[in-house]
Amino acid sequence: MSIFEYNGSAVVAMVGKNCFAIASDRRLGVQLQTVATDFQRVFKIHDKLYIGLSGLATDAQTLYQRLVFRHKLYQLREERDMKPETFASLVSALLYEKRFGPYFCQPVIAGLGEDNEPFICTMDCIGAKELAKDFVVSGTASESLYGACESMFKPNMEPEELVETISQALLSSVDRDCLSGWGGYVLLLTPTEVQERVLKARMD
Amino acid sequence: MMKPDMSALETHFGAPAGEDCGLLFDVDDSSMPAMEFPNCPNFDRFQAKTKDMVKNKRGTTTLAFIFDRGVIVAADSRASMGGYISSQTVRKIIEINPYMLGTMAGGAADCQFWHRNLGTKCRLHELANKRRISVTGASKLLANILYSYRGMGLSIGTMIAGWDEKGPGLYYVDSEGARLKGNRFSVGSGSLYAYGILDEGYRFKMSIEEAGELARRAIYHATFRDGASGGCVSVYHVGPDGWTKLSGDDVGELHFQYYPVQKTPVEQEMVDASPSTA
Repeated sequence: MSIFEYNGSAVVAMVGKNCFAIASDRRLGVQLQTVATDFQRVFKIHDKLYIGLSGLATDAQTLYQRLVFRHKLYQLREERDMKPETFASLVSALLYEKRFGPYFCQPVIAGLGEDNEPFICTMDCIGAKELAKDFVVSGTASESLYGACESMFKPNMEPEELVETISQALLSSVDRDCLSGWGGYVLLLTPTEVQERVLKARMD
Repeated sequence: MMKPDMSALETHFGAPAGEDCGLLFDVDDSSMPAMEFPNCPNFDRFQAKTKDMVKNKRGTTTLAFIFDRGVIVAADSRASMGGYISSQTVRKIIEINPYMLGTMAGGAADCQFWHRNLGTKCRLHELANKRRISVTGASKLLANILYSYRGMGLSIGTMIAGWDEKGPGLYYVDSEGARLKGNRFSVGSGSLYAYGILDEGYRFKMSIEEAGELARRAIYHATFRDGASGGCVSVYHVGPDGWTKLSGDDVGELHFQYYPVQKTPVEQEMVDASPSTA
């Protein structure tokens, strides 16, 4: 098993009508053994920007701390929050700095930009950005997630429908993966509210 | 007449005759056809990669134990290939004959084939000897077959459980050639988690329901902790009249039976408040 499969993870983000949803599984494992079922993988950068980090758990936590630090400095200098596109470039640059000794993470960035336009992107562990208009996935269950999202996604979904879709895509994908699952966490962001949900899932 | 090209049959090994090298024939005799040995630096590890590939193809949890009413046999139903779950509905408890069960761990094809082969041999024994074969005898038959294939890459970790004239019998047999008699076994990647529950709750005097519940709980616990075990728990009981299937439960639902979701106080208030505001 590779270093990316050491802890096991699944993260997915989807775009809806003036909203987005980002979801992750809740398992923390050491290869096949499950150690925790309430591990947080989706982190808040500011009110309208979230990042999900799959891959090695220790790198996910350290990378998140570094990004929060950089964003706080930005806020002090610019006296405003970062735009999602700018943040994505920041993450990409930070990851490429470690080109020959990388963080073993694949981030998924989701935010609402100017005019509340939803923005999602993912990148590999050395910062290659992949922008998408519909959904992005990462983690050990990524292949299953691609299949599930591709078949379940429709453009311009309302928030309730989006949450339902992303939950079903996540749960059905992690049910085919030994290393992720054990619960789900979904975060929905619209211009006016944030909704968090913990999903009841198979615990095997 | 053209002479056929015999250069491929020439020997490339051994010392000239006369030196003491322990060979049974004269090695420099070029009329003796011989082959080049494959260049194998470590003969014992020949094909080890292929064998290891087969071995790790399935994680599993199976267990069996003897108590005063017979033998309980239980298993999960997940087949995994590395990280991918290839099936959640594999039957890992194999019915050798109406009074003997075998469990499957390791290579599916190996287990299925050799258990069926064992069933055939047991039936032939019955016909030849006019009496049923004992669990001791059946496990010995299987162990001897597996020993003769030792090192060839079979991957089988099985428990043979049954009831014969001496009462309940349980043997662990594997493809390395081991055959162990015992009262409690658990096999597979999730076996350590199952042992934790099994060893704690085990008593010799139990009712059949209690024993079945212990087995179910042990397998459930292994599916929770081990990534390579999951699906459904099947529990069988072998008694004096043969085996019966006690239960088959989906582990996803079992979890919420053992650990029901606790409503937070806020949610409970919302549930209580809603009828009055209608």
